[in-house]
Amino acid sequence: MTVSERIEQLKSEALSAVASGDSTAALEDVRVRYLGRSAELTEIKKSIGTLAPEERKEVGRSSNLASREIEAALDSRTGEVAAREREDRLREEAVDITLPGVPFRKGHLHPSWRIIDEVVDFFVGLGYRVAEGPEVETDYYNFTALGIPPGHPARTMQDTFFVDDGLVLRTQTSPMQIRTMLAQEPPVFVVCPGRTYRRDSDPTHTPMFHQVEGLAVDRGLTLAHLKGTLAAMARHVFGESVGIRLRPSYFQFTEPSVEMDVSCFVCGGTDPHCKVCKGAGWLEMLGAGMVDPGVLEEVGYDPEEYTGYAFGMGPDRMAMVKYDVPDLRLFFEGDLRFLRQF
Amino acid sequence: MRVPLSWLHEYLDFDLSTAELVDLFSLRSQEIDGVYHLGVTDGEVVVGEILEFGPHPNADRLHVAKVDLGGREVQIVAGAPNPYPGARVPVVLPGSVMSDGTKLRKAKLRGLESYGMMMSERELGISADHGGILLLDGSHAVGRPVAEYFPVGETILDIDVTPNRPDLWGMIGVARELAAILRVDYRIPEPSLQKGGKPTADFGLRVEAGELCPRYDLRRVSDLEPGRVAPLWMRRRIYAAGMRPINAVVDATNYVMLETGQPIHAFDAGSVRGGIVVRRAWPGERITLLDGSTRHLDEDMLVIADEERGLVIAGVMGAEDAEVGEETTDALIEAANFDGRNILQTSQKLGLRTDASGRFERGLDPNMVGHAMDRVTTLLAQSAGGRVAGDTLSHYPEPVETWRVPLRLDRAELVLGMPVRTDEAADRLQALGCEVEAEDRRLSAVVPTFRLDLRREADLIEEVGRLIGLDRVPETLPAVPQPGGLTEQQHTTRLLRRLLADVGLSEAITYPFGPERWTLDLGLEDETVGLQNPLSTEGSELRTSILPGLLDAAARNKAFGARGVGLFELGKAFFADPPPEALEDAARRFRMTGEFGEQDADRLMGVREENRVGVVLAGTVEPAGWNFPGFRAGFYEAKGIVERLVPGARFSPAKRPYLHPGRSAVVSVGAREAGWVGELHPEVVERFDLTGWPVAALELDPALCQPDPELRFDPFVNVPAAARDLAVVVEERLPVGEMLRSIHGLSSSTLTEARVFDVYVGNPVPQGQKSIAFGFTFQGESTLTDEEVDAEVGRIVARVEDEFGARVRS
Repeated sequence: MTVSERIEQLKSEALSAVASGDSTAALEDVRVRYLGRSAELTEIKKSIGTLAPEERKEVGRSSNLASREIEAALDSRTGEVAAREREDRLREEAVDITLPGVPFRKGHLHPSWRIIDEVVDFFVGLGYRVAEGPEVETDYYNFTALGIPPGHPARTMQDTFFVDDGLVLRTQTSPMQIRTMLAQEPPVFVVCPGRTYRRDSDPTHTPMFHQVEGLAVDRGLTLAHLKGTLAAMARHVFGESVGIRLRPSYFQFTEPSVEMDVSCFVCGGTDPHCKVCKGAGWLEMLGAGMVDPGVLEEVGYDPEEYTGYAFGMGPDRMAMVKYDVPDLRLFFEGDLRFLRQF
Repeated sequence: MRVPLSWLHEYLDFDLSTAELVDLFSLRSQEIDGVYHLGVTDGEVVVGEILEFGPHPNADRLHVAKVDLGGREVQIVAGAPNPYPGARVPVVLPGSVMSDGTKLRKAKLRGLESYGMMMSERELGISADHGGILLLDGSHAVGRPVAEYFPVGETILDIDVTPNRPDLWGMIGVARELAAILRVDYRIPEPSLQKGGKPTADFGLRVEAGELCPRYDLRRVSDLEPGRVAPLWMRRRIYAAGMRPINAVVDATNYVMLETGQPIHAFDAGSVRGGIVVRRAWPGERITLLDGSTRHLDEDMLVIADEERGLVIAGVMGAEDAEVGEETTDALIEAANFDGRNILQTSQKLGLRTDASGRFERGLDPNMVGHAMDRVTTLLAQSAGGRVAGDTLSHYPEPVETWRVPLRLDRAELVLGMPVRTDEAADRLQALGCEVEAEDRRLSAVVPTFRLDLRREADLIEEVGRLIGLDRVPETLPAVPQPGGLTEQQHTTRLLRRLLADVGLSEAITYPFGPERWTLDLGLEDETVGLQNPLSTEGSELRTSILPGLLDAAARNKAFGARGVGLFELGKAFFADPPPEALEDAARRFRMTGEFGEQDADRLMGVREENRVGVVLAGTVEPAGWNFPGFRAGFYEAKGIVERLVPGARFSPAKRPYLHPGRSAVVSVGAREAGWVGELHPEVVERFDLTGWPVAALELDPALCQPDPELRFDPFVNVPAAARDLAVVVEERLPVGEMLRSIHGLSSSTLTEARVFDVYVGNPVPQGQKSIAFGFTFQGESTLTDEEVDAEVGRIVARVEDEFGARVRS
């Protein structure tokens, strides 16, 4: 057998081995056997120098050709087999996608504070600052300075927790109006969120609850500014479609005093059996009014030069309405069955 | 104030549905708390005459009547036995709807047809009397609708009267208000007195406590017919307005109170000894009231007495003595004005609030007394057969006059933010009873004395605004001349809350007051602040720590089957901080008047409030999953939260009675103590009903937390870092933190991170020792060679061998 014939023989052996190789490992064996360092074809190439000059050219050409042909066949076959093998492997790697993933713990913010944050953010966006104050408050700041002197009937409207001679748990965030005005000159634009306390306990009253107080004092402030501000706030919290209305009311430290209703954000007043507004179409939301000139005088502001408005809302109640919670007491029990829903 | 609409219709004409009336009144005046119905709301009630009345053949307790409905004879089955042949009765016809919503149908009762129903007073909404069928007198024509004689149904508005409007505690005031809203006229019943009774002057009147009694009028009505019942129209109105009809005399006084707002009292003249004395109670004086209770009075309470004994706690309630009764034939009628605040105090001290005291406490118009007296004595003459004395004893030394209040229209427009026409403002104020003069955008209003709340320009602006309509006020936004924003601390607090929620905790808000055991069970020695009037002893002291409230919450969750909790709360802790004795007077003055002079106001408060953030981890905070090891409460879990909140915090052993002595630490930042962290003492766990759960907690001063530390860019080089692990064996008691600190103390220029990734005790580590595995990361300006890294590790090894006797594990 001539060398050239042997090359042809090796080539066809190799090509059939490639064709029958059914794994990348088997094909790698084929590569080593026919193209590896000690493969016969490689030996033949190495030995070309020892051949007769007339043979060299022919053997060189046919051996290179054979190598390339085997190589190409190997590559193509390996590609096919590897692709199939990868598919097989991926199939084997499949997991039960219905098993739960690794739990990243979700925490929960209290519903009242979710509302407070929303309200505070709204007013900060308008240019208001945020003030906080003590929860144990003096009789003067909590009542007298707000036009409710000792013996005044309005004091009985707020069942008060007494702490000490002249000290109470604040029944409202309104004393922050006084503290704020005493500490600065107009213009004042401030909101004061915080805890407040009244001696009361039933499904819609808890001895502690939250209020957000707002106060604006400047030249030329009117009831229209109050109305516009509250309407924008209501839309921010309850959605763009809600409207507001004002009703006359009475607070000792505002004149005129109003209460604000928000149109029902669920039914808009169209459903007589609405769960949220009970068919009324309106939801009582907050109390407000123009700052009483007596209060401005009390803190040394000139009521002829400055006017102002104030408002106080109950974020707990707003959360009850917004999230459909029937019982206020749930808010303050630290029960995870409640807290985890927010 | 319960307002029966049929009564209101007597005073003014209006054509509004109930819903429209409710809307209008709440948008222009006062909130309506509710709408109630009495009697027959829809249908027909006619006068029937009993033709036959006898027992039901098939039922012991039923009766059968043949009733003439005016040319038409029907059979009606009844429960009540009182009708008799010839009696006239109200019969409600089938198809009618009662106030409770039931619709009456033709029915068969025990085999007999029953057409409609004969009605009791209660069913007609006249009174609570359900003892029998109402019998009508002969003036009621058979077959005529009963509504021609008196309303058979009633709609009642419950007005939530604000405290500044005592004038709305009477029907006349409500009519005046509605008339002002509707811009129509109203009319009120005028008294028509016929005098000629026995003289009042047979009795004396002496007002000793004039400061508490601006006006006291007394008039005698004699020759009353004993046992009279008030006429039906009066009783049904009293009942509809929410009171109980009693007898002709008492009903007349209550009726006039409901009509005018002026409480009135009637004494049995025969029992009054000498005369009426208005005085303060004597020390130790006791009085037994109509409700049977005996009350102890003090000298701040006003008593209406005769010469011998107290007869009435003024403005609140009468005593059994000298009360009018069925047998009364001679009465002394009181219409008076008392100091509102004094009545309020008395009623609060006694825990006794009545229809009268509720009206007096808001301050009434003394000028209302005269009209009310005339009106009640007129009614007593008409309905109780009395004869009215020609004389009235009156104490009214300083008659209240009307007053004048100016109103500038420009000011009204400024406050209301809408245009206000001069004539419109004047018109509205006149409708409320003011006399108004207008000149050049200025009004001057003479205010009637029944509007005690209208004293200042601002008060008039409110009236004008609400009557024009708050719906006409436009919505505009003011120009706010400052940038808004949160202070740094407010920002930090908000980040803290977000961060704690992000690590998987739930935000709780708990009551800051709890039982005494809160402090006792925690072994705290803080000076607590107590409440003088807690709702119960379970809420008598203000907390000095967030911890107990969160522990109670954890126990609640445990009781309801939770496997664990992770809760946090931001709030205040309260500490007693009484001012020194020398400043006690200054403190009292500051608290009552706001004056603090040269003193530090905070010092005078007497209570110090501190902000706190608290976390409680208890039980299995997050249960293990098939691919997740779970999260249980423990020292290191709580410490990890502290490390996240307070970068650079230092931990030193804590000695707190409520903490596990070996698993707790005081947290400090610089020289300041920021709080504590640790597992709770097992005794505390037990006392708070958390037995069986591991409990770890922390409490920090939020001002020292840095959830989002200040940011500054630190340049880095783009060459690979090298990592090396090192395991050493040391004495088991050695604090690993000290090793870490010492390693950092080497000031290596290339060591960027040192991590503890394993702590191991047990075979093959000798007893009493532990193996600590560190992972180090080295980073140089250029790629570090193995030799350079080895040299750094060598320095570390030398340091820990030298300083801590560590041996490198191979």
